[in-house]
Amino acid sequence: MSEINTPSQTVGPFFHYGLKWEPGEHLFPDAKTPGRRIVLTGTITDGQGAPVPDAFLELWQPDGSGRFGAPVPGSCAGWGRVFTDNDGRYTANTVLPGALGKQAPHILVVLFARGLLRQLITRVYFDGEAANAGDAVLASTGARAATLLARPEGAERYV
Amino acid sequence: MTSALRKPAPGTHPNLLHPAYASTVARAPTQSLLALPQGPGELSGPRFDASVLYKSHDDLTRQCAGEPLGERIILSGRVLDDNGDPMPNTLLEVWQCNSAGRYHHHRDQHDAPLDPNFTGNGRVLTDAEGRYTITTIKPGAYPWRNHPNAWRPAHIHFSLFGTSMLQRLITQMYFPGDPLLGYDPIFNSVPSEKARERSIARFDWNLTKPEWALGYEFNFVLRGSEATPAN
Repeated sequence: MSEINTPSQTVGPFFHYGLKWEPGEHLFPDAKTPGRRIVLTGTITDGQGAPVPDAFLELWQPDGSGRFGAPVPGSCAGWGRVFTDNDGRYTANTVLPGALGKQAPHILVVLFARGLLRQLITRVYFDGEAANAGDAVLASTGARAATLLARPEGAERYV
Repeated sequence: MTSALRKPAPGTHPNLLHPAYASTVARAPTQSLLALPQGPGELSGPRFDASVLYKSHDDLTRQCAGEPLGERIILSGRVLDDNGDPMPNTLLEVWQCNSAGRYHHHRDQHDAPLDPNFTGNGRVLTDAEGRYTITTIKPGAYPWRNHPNAWRPAHIHFSLFGTSMLQRLITQMYFPGDPLLGYDPIFNSVPSEKARERSIARFDWNLTKPEWALGYEFNFVLRGSEATPAN
């Protein structure tokens, strides 16, 4: 018999000072981390298309060789936390993640915001990666697969 | 990486669309959620060591030049998984408003005083038995504009990591006997009464320090492994 879990509650609007994380937008502070350096950026909008200025994302991914990270001073390699600005935009500095077995390279993304009573969890894949065609999760999302793809914008930015 | 995690019992977590909490109407997803498999990314997560802790990280009454106003409290408990096993060395982040009901945040415009001696944020790592302890002051109730004469019951925000991204939890802890609980759409967004009770601290004489602070116990339960643990 399992114990009942502690319920989720919204993060509210006033989380910034409680959850500030100085290297938060740098997932791999070590310059020697294997993998191609990229910037992942985008906008969080609500169901009516309005930008969400009081949200944040947490990102978790392996390095370019497919290895998950360990604690580094003040944080953990491969993990990041980025807050949206007044226009709902976020930006994270990372490396292109390595593939995990048959899964195409992706970043696990968890979204928290005022007005969300529990977090939303999703994956960000990368448009143009050959392995996407064989990824079972992408295939299972059918017509919505395009909403999981970050598109290249120049050599190093994905949107 | 941990093994596959059990689904929480129905009614444990709020529904994303809960119109009594007005902000959910625009922000709840408009499309149905799709189930993600529990892959290597979902079943692993960041680990943190003591380098993430800052000065007076577990005593929110000693982070400024003077002492904050309000009722000093000691809050302690354990982080367990739903099999009852302790979760050692897991990070908790905590934030709250001051004793007058005002957050140290530029967007909080409630007409109550800021306390120059209280910021209201902390971090703590659980010990080998999954135990944590923080010292703080009891937060005040405050009004919000969700509906006419809306007031939030006193609460403390907690963020917990566990050992995998699927155990990640952000929640609010409430105080026993608070008359505002029955009126609060956020507290009452949790369908199960047992789960709502899980988010209320217990007054604890044993934690109370004479001539110093009242004590409250608050335990957290995160998702546990579905597999029967080997003895």
